Amino acid sequence: MENGGYVGEVEPAGKKPIAELRGVTKRFGEVLAASDLNLSIAEGEFLSFLGPSGCGKTTALRMLAGFETPTEGDVLLDGKVVNTLEAHHRPVNMVFQQYALFPHMTVAQNIGYGLRQIRPRIPKAEISERVSKALDVVQLAGFEDRKIWEMSGGQQQRVALARAIINEPKLLLLDEPMAALDRKLRKEMQIELQDLQRQLGITFVLVTHDQEEALSMSDRICIMRDGRIVQIGSPQELYDRPNSRYVADFVGTSNFFNGKLQRSTDGLSEVLLDNGMRIQGMPGDGLVDGQEVCVSVRPEQMKLRRQGKGLEVEVHNRIFLGEHTEYLVTHETLGDFLVLAPRQADLSEGAFAVRDKALVSWETSAALILDRN
Amino acid sequence: MRLYAICVYLFLYIPIGVIALFSFNAGRHASQLQGFSTKWYGKALSNPFVMDALETSLVVAFCSALFASVFGTMAAVALQGIRGPVRATFDLLIYVAVMIPGIVIGIATLIGLVTVFDQLNPLIAAIWPDGFKPPKLRMGIGSLIAAHTMFLMALVVIIVRARLAGMDRALTEASSDLYATPMGTFRQVTLPMIFPAILAGFLLSFTFSFDDFIIAFFVAGSETTLPIYVFSSIRRGVTPEINAIGTMVMGVSLLLLITAQLLLQRGGKKSR
Ligand SMILES: Nc1ncnc2c1ncn2[C@@H]1O[C@H](COP(=O)(O)OP(=O)(O)OP(=O)(O)O)[C@@H](O)[C@H]1O
Ligand SMILES: [Mg+2]
Repeated sequence: MENGGYVGEVEPAGKKPIAELRGVTKRFGEVLAASDLNLSIAEGEFLSFLGPSGCGKTTALRMLAGFETPTEGDVLLDGKVVNTLEAHHRPVNMVFQQYALFPHMTVAQNIGYGLRQIRPRIPKAEISERVSKALDVVQLAGFEDRKIWEMSGGQQQRVALARAIINEPKLLLLDEPMAALDRKLRKEMQIELQDLQRQLGITFVLVTHDQEEALSMSDRICIMRDGRIVQIGSPQELYDRPNSRYVADFVGTSNFFNGKLQRSTDGLSEVLLDNGMRIQGMPGDGLVDGQEVCVSVRPEQMKLRRQGKGLEVEVHNRIFLGEHTEYLVTHETLGDFLVLAPRQADLSEGAFAVRDKALVSWETSAALILDRN
Repeated sequence: MRLYAICVYLFLYIPIGVIALFSFNAGRHASQLQGFSTKWYGKALSNPFVMDALETSLVVAFCSALFASVFGTMAAVALQGIRGPVRATFDLLIYVAVMIPGIVIGIATLIGLVTVFDQLNPLIAAIWPDGFKPPKLRMGIGSLIAAHTMFLMALVVIIVRARLAGMDRALTEASSDLYATPMGTFRQVTLPMIFPAILAGFLLSFTFSFDDFIIAFFVAGSETTLPIYVFSSIRRGVTPEINAIGTMVMGVSLLLLITAQLLLQRGGKKSR
C-alpha cells in the first residue's frame, strides 16, 4: 500500500462477523485478480464492493460463493475456514449479473429450486407455499406458472432475487444486479432492495461500479483497485476522509491541485503547489515531508465571491441545477475547476455570469492533503 | 451464374427424382415408364430377404445410435470439464475421427476385430467347461454395432459439445449455488438443456448407420443390411423394386434429418 497501509476499519465495530477474508490472494495464471484482501463482514450489514471494471470485485464475490478457491489466505464463513468448501455446501446465495435463471423451468420451479435440493425432502405443499410467499415479497404474486422468457428484465431480476432469498441464506451476494436495468427501474430496485434487506435482516454483499448506487445503499463500502482494497468505510467516511486521490475521485467529485508536502505540523500542513503557490490543508495519514501529494477540495466547499481574499478566477461556464449552480472556473496557473454554489449564495451575492471575474476561497479544514495515487 | 446454379441442382437431384419416379413404374423395365403403380412397394415389403435385411439394419441403427448417444454425451460432458492443451488435443482427435473416410474405418475395424477375436477365441475355449461347445466370437451384428458406435460417437460428441459450449456457465453455477450436488446439477439443469442436441445426435446417428454401406460391407460378416442387399441385387440389374426400396430409405432418412435439424435449431434458440 502506498499510503502507509491504513485502509479504514477492516472490522465493523462490535458486531459478530458472518464472513471474513484474511489475506486472500487469487491468481489466474499471470493475472493477479485479488491481492491480500482483508475484510470482515458483520451480520446484517449491507456491504458494497466498488471499483472500476476488472479490479477484482467479481473474483472476491466468487470466492465467498465458493466458485473460486483462493490462491493464498483464508475465506471464513461463520468463523470456519471454508477455502475449499464447494458452493453447494455453503449457506450463501448469489444473484447473478445476467440472473442465470433456468430457461426450461417456470418461475415457481426456478424459485423453489434451492428448497427442492434439501435433504430430507421438504414437502411439496410447503415448498409451493414458501414460493408464493417469496413471490409476494418481490411483488410478483400470481406469476408462478410464467415461463422465464415471458418476463421482462426487471421481473426476471425479481425472480432471481426471490430464488436466492427464499433459502434464507446467511449471506446474499449480488453481482451488479442492476446493471442490465434502465435508469428509472434501477432506482426503484435500489430502494426495494434496501427495504428488503432491512425487512429480512440478511447480510448483503453487493458488487457495483456505480458510485451512486454504492453510496445510497451501503452501510459500508469497500473501494477496490487493481485487485487491492484501497479503503473501507461508511459512505460518509469515504466522502469526508478519503485516504487517497483515487478514493476522493471515485466517491463524489473533487478538485485536485498537485504539489509537494512542505511542513507537517500537527493537524495542519503546507503544500507547495506546482505553480509556486502555497496552501494549507489537513494532511492524511502516513504522508511524509517532501512527498508528492495533491490537495483535494470538494466543489461544494468552495465559495465564489466578488470581494475579499481568494484565488482570482474567471467564470468559464455556468450550469443551473435548481438547488445549486455549477460554475466551471479557470485560474491562470491552476487550470479549470468546479465550484458548486447553493441557490442561497446566488440569491444573496448575485449570480455570476460567464466571463465574470471572481474570487474562490475555502476553509482550511476543507482542503485535504492526499496521496497522489 | 444463376443458370449455372440451376444446372448443378438439376445434376444433383435428377437421378434421385428418376429413382423415385421409376419406383412407381407399372412396367417391369427400369428404363421405360409404363403407367403408375405402387405394386413394387408391395413387392419389396413382402420380399423376405428385404425384410430380413431391413430388420438387421434397423437393429444395428437403433443400437449403435443409442450407444453412440449415451457414450458420446458422457464424453462431451467430461471434455467440457477439462481445459487447456488436453482438451484441444481431444477436440482435434474427435474432428479427425469424423473426417476419416468410411473405407479406412471399415478396414481398420475389420483388422482390429479379427485380431482381437483371434486372441480371445482360444482363451474362451480354454476356460469354457468341458462338454459344452464354446461360443465363437465372429463378425456379425455385434461387430456391426461396435463399428458404427465408434464412428458415430464422434459425431454425437461434436453435436453435444456445441450445445454445451453455448450454455451459460452461470446456469450450472447457479444450480450449485442453490445447493444442488454435481449429479443433481447434471440431472436437473445440464441434461434437460442439452437433451435436444442428444436427440438430434441420436437421429443423425440412426440415419448414418442405416444408410451406411462401406463400413458395414467390411464388418458385417454373414449379416446382410439393407444397403448391402441393395448393392448385391443391383448386380443382377436395377429393378423397380430396388427403386422402391431406395425411395423408402430416402424418405425415412430425410424425415429423421429434418427432425434433427429442427431439434438443434429450437434447442439453440431456447437457451438464449
Ligand atoms: N477465470 C478467469 N481466468 C483468468 N482471468 C480471470 C478470470 N476471472 C477473472 N479474471 C481476471 O481477473 C481480473 C479481475 O476480474 P473480475 O471479474 O473480478 O473483475 P470485476 O471487478 O468484477 O470487473 P467488472 O466490473 O468488469 O465485472 C481481470 O483482470 C480478469 O481478466
Ligand atoms: Mg464483475
